[in-house]
Amino acid sequence: MMANDTIDQDASDTLAAVARLLRHAAVRAWAQAEADGPRSHLHLLGLGIHTASCQAVAMLPADADLKGHPPAQDDVAQLLRAAEELTRSIPVLDQTAGISPLVVAICDLVREATP
Amino acid sequence: MNAQDERSVGELLLDADFSTRQVLMDVTGQDAPAMLRTWGEVVQSASELWASLPQPVHGGTGPIDGVTMARLEAMSLGMHRTQVRRGWPGDGPADERLLHVAETLTRAADLIGRRGGHIRPTDTAVRADLDAARMRIMHTLYVGAHGVGVAAREHVADVELSTRGKSSRESRGVPRGQDAISRLAAFEQLAGAYVGNRFARAAQGEHVRGPYGSERLQQALIGWDIQAHRTLAATPTAPNLLLTARTQAGIATAAGAILHAGARTGHVDTHAYQHRLAPSLDATQEAWTHVADRWAEMTSPADRTDLDLVHAAGELRAAVREVAHDKTTWARPDVMAGRVDLGEAAQHLQQALSAAVDVACVIRDVAAQDANLTGPARAMSHRANADIDRATERGHRGEDVVWVTPGDVYANRTVTIPEPVRAGLVDATDTLVQTASNAMSAASCLDRATQDRPTGSGQEATAPRSRRHEALTPMAQVSPRVARP
Repeated sequence: MMANDTIDQDASDTLAAVARLLRHAAVRAWAQAEADGPRSHLHLLGLGIHTASCQAVAMLPADADLKGHPPAQDDVAQLLRAAEELTRSIPVLDQTAGISPLVVAICDLVREATP
Repeated sequence: MNAQDERSVGELLLDADFSTRQVLMDVTGQDAPAMLRTWGEVVQSASELWASLPQPVHGGTGPIDGVTMARLEAMSLGMHRTQVRRGWPGDGPADERLLHVAETLTRAADLIGRRGGHIRPTDTAVRADLDAARMRIMHTLYVGAHGVGVAAREHVADVELSTRGKSSRESRGVPRGQDAISRLAAFEQLAGAYVGNRFARAAQGEHVRGPYGSERLQQALIGWDIQAHRTLAATPTAPNLLLTARTQAGIATAAGAILHAGARTGHVDTHAYQHRLAPSLDATQEAWTHVADRWAEMTSPADRTDLDLVHAAGELRAAVREVAHDKTTWARPDVMAGRVDLGEAAQHLQQALSAAVDVACVIRDVAAQDANLTGPARAMSHRANADIDRATERGHRGEDVVWVTPGDVYANRTVTIPEPVRAGLVDATDTLVQTASNAMSAASCLDRATQDRPTGSGQEATAPRSRRHEALTPMAQVSPRVARP
């Protein structure tokens, strides 16, 4: 897969944190979905969050640090809101092409996850 | 306008951006009329701000030029003229949040007009700032258009539901809303292309009238199936296999919800649904989920997933949501039935369940034969030991073998998957192929159920048989491979 080697360090670090939050949110959504059973609508919410995290990772350089401890929150909606708030400090530039659809995807997911 | 407002242009642009995000996160169908009334003001303000930014000294015409903004403004004016001609949404209150966005953009334009008109963008840093400002304006329009489009879609769905069976006069909000949705989609794609939306297909200013309802579901299922085969043939990596399995699990879940609605509304045989379809769909969903969990263990956080596969999964999810979701959960059966012909949707799902058997076979072949499968050492060691322990509990006592070296575990290096992990993976995918085949067999009743469904149910007639046959895709017609002994 292509990696983005032109993104600046601050934006890269922030985006990596966004990717980690989304990844954790997807894991939590799927864990809840599996507990609820095969008919839970949360399976598709988890899928949406996972695809958003794939979008975020695709924007990062190959050596981006995506490890680290999972976030403390377990609430999916809170994790998504935290991810959206982090994206606010990422500039919208050629080097961060893809941030706009990612922002839209996260905002859509927040709406979908918030009762 | 607040006379005390001393924010910079950059801060005002961020305010406008964050306001449109907030709108998008909170929007509902009830907001649509007010948002549609106000959207034109947002675009007008954005256009004026754009025009107020100092132009390149040598009249540069790179991607950062005014052509896109001019087209967006023209599209917005076209929408406004249509609204006036059709008398919809008509007079009424404006959307305060979008009004705030428009006012903020106007404030930024005033600020530049009063204090920044003398700036000549000869300096590289100044040019970069201006480019960033233009990008932020376009991004704000992109997010805002998406939000108005979401409101319009939800509004149309609400109107469709509330005016079902009523006169065309009462339901005229539906075609009006659909026209607005198409225009907003074109607007969004054009703005998205400007901000580097690699997922969008730039519309050349024309109205985008994509399929929706069961036709969109059908296309998304076919598109997914084709892309999954392509991706797994070229790059059968753990992240791609994970997304494939999760998406297939999602298809099984969605099939359960849509067919349940079909059974409740007389489009699917209730007995067949309860006694054959539902149990087999549950079983295949669980098998896909189990296999996905296995692939997830073999991924690292930095692993990349094929973006074409991501896009296909995203479109499939969006198509399912359009049919089967209502805000944060499944829509009621009667609501789903009001949106699409559930008999037709059942046909598409039947084909998808057939195609799923082949995807399962491809995944099993990768699990059994791909010598390049790797995973993080710690997860592989843990999984190997867990599978060995499970085998021991079943009475199979093997030799004590170190499957992953302590050095690899310590450094958590990427290692070739140990033999017990592969054996567990093959077992899981064998079960997957079996459950997918069972679901396909159970779903074969859908053809008959659709043809036998009661008439006068308030739904449009399903496509004639000849059309249904034309809709079959090559993937769906592929016979499933025989399960490996």
